[in-house]
Amino acid sequence: MKERLQRILAPLVVLIVLLLLWEGLVTLFDVQQFLLPKPSAIVSNLITRDASATGEQLFRLGDGLVFYRGAGLNPILAAARFTLKEALGGLAMGVTTGLLVALATARWLALSEALLPFAIAVNSMPIIAFAPIMNNWFGIDNPFSKMAIVALMVFFPIMINTTRGLMLVDANSLELMRSYAASEFEILRRLRIPNALPFIFSGLKVAASLSMIGAIVGEYFGGPRIALGVYITQEASMFRFSSAWAAIIIACVIGISLYLIIVLLERLCMPWHSSFRSS
Amino acid sequence: MTHPAVSIQNTNMIFGQGTSNEVQALKDIDLTIEPNEFISLIGPSGCGKSTLLRVMAELISPTGGTVAINGKSAHQARLDRDYGMVFQAATLYDWRTVAKNVQLPLELMGYSTAKKRERTREMLELVELSDFAKHYPWQLSGGMQQRVAIARALAFEPSILLMDEPFGALDEMTRERLNMELLDIWRKTKTTVIFVTHSITEAVFLSTRVIVMSARPGQITQDICIDLKQPRGTETREDVSFFELEKEVRDALRASEKMGAGH
Repeated sequence: MKERLQRILAPLVVLIVLLLLWEGLVTLFDVQQFLLPKPSAIVSNLITRDASATGEQLFRLGDGLVFYRGAGLNPILAAARFTLKEALGGLAMGVTTGLLVALATARWLALSEALLPFAIAVNSMPIIAFAPIMNNWFGIDNPFSKMAIVALMVFFPIMINTTRGLMLVDANSLELMRSYAASEFEILRRLRIPNALPFIFSGLKVAASLSMIGAIVGEYFGGPRIALGVYITQEASMFRFSSAWAAIIIACVIGISLYLIIVLLERLCMPWHSSFRSS
Repeated sequence: MTHPAVSIQNTNMIFGQGTSNEVQALKDIDLTIEPNEFISLIGPSGCGKSTLLRVMAELISPTGGTVAINGKSAHQARLDRDYGMVFQAATLYDWRTVAKNVQLPLELMGYSTAKKRERTREMLELVELSDFAKHYPWQLSGGMQQRVAIARALAFEPSILLMDEPFGALDEMTRERLNMELLDIWRKTKTTVIFVTHSITEAVFLSTRVIVMSARPGQITQDICIDLKQPRGTETREDVSFFELEKEVRDALRASEKMGAGH
């Protein structure tokens, strides 16, 4: 118990010291706001609830519907909520299709082996470059355009990892199943899928990080005023750096949280896995 | 009328037939094994003893000859789950607890929940691992893992137990203890055991018959009856005839190695 507390406390202390140092140095050397705002200035952007200067700006430009949805909420948090929905929507679509395609092709091993090199090749391309195309296809203000780019980015790591996990089964384990005269479906269910779980989770960790990147960068190419990516570009272009920084930090926090949720799920789904053996 | 547990006639196994790296793993194998025998297959590495075991299990199909298990084709015997298999690696599924691993074949064979629990409990008792039912495989030692594999192979009461160097990766002490346990299990369950091993001592101690094989091509060179008295125990290892039989098997192995080298 004491050790665990220490494990959590130590990084927390380091973080606080770093923030204090940052604040102190910026004040001491009188660093310009646009170069590096003070942490306190950044944080103040996150806790204003009323229509502060930045909030007004955001909603004056937004249409009626967006104004209604964001009303009463801190503008950055409202934008974060909007972008998070895009990221989660895209993540859900990409993960589902990735898993389904992998499962479907695993039934015909020759097909997955033929597909895998293509998937790996596509996966190494900067898929984010398609963001403007998606904005054109689905409409720049339509959240679906960002979901599509996220889904596309997430699909490949999930599909590749799942396919690998389904195929890379220990030869003896497979012979054991054959000795029981198990059907292909039973082998899939009781051997291939559990075997693929660690692979799927490492795909999910990559996917979770990619989903926020995809949504925000997609928004850099254009989107509704309420979106986090649009907010960041706009605030930065108007030299309101402390609010731009605040939005970036919120994006980071969301990205890290998504990742941690996946790690938690992994522990729940695979208590047997080797990476947790030390405890 | 009772059938032999295993009847193999004129069986050949050629890997990569018709290619430049063609290997004859088994040549003209004739072997009959009666129910409740304990047979060891012994020979230098590459002599095809594991291949022969896999042919019986129908994990591979021979390129010639006939294989009958309990009077049926090897294919039918596999579908009927006539045998249980134990590999050199315990091959437990990491994501299953010890009890769930033992239960795996029972799930595939559609046992009722009550029957599954009952058999699993019995099997864990048989291999003396009742206290470890809820452990995961990585929490067990190599010897314990192998005992789980044996429990799993016997869970559905197959009439034949096929073992491919099951104790090959274990230390000498553990191996001797597991040998004793295996004999005990064999007596209690009355299964036919076919046991592949590298160890002369192990083969003589366990078996009612030792089949000596030679390499390239894999052939049966000798069939030695081990008529040491049953049940066997620590005193068996000190028996004069135990040493004589050990020597006989060793000589047979030497002779077969020379034969193999002549090819």
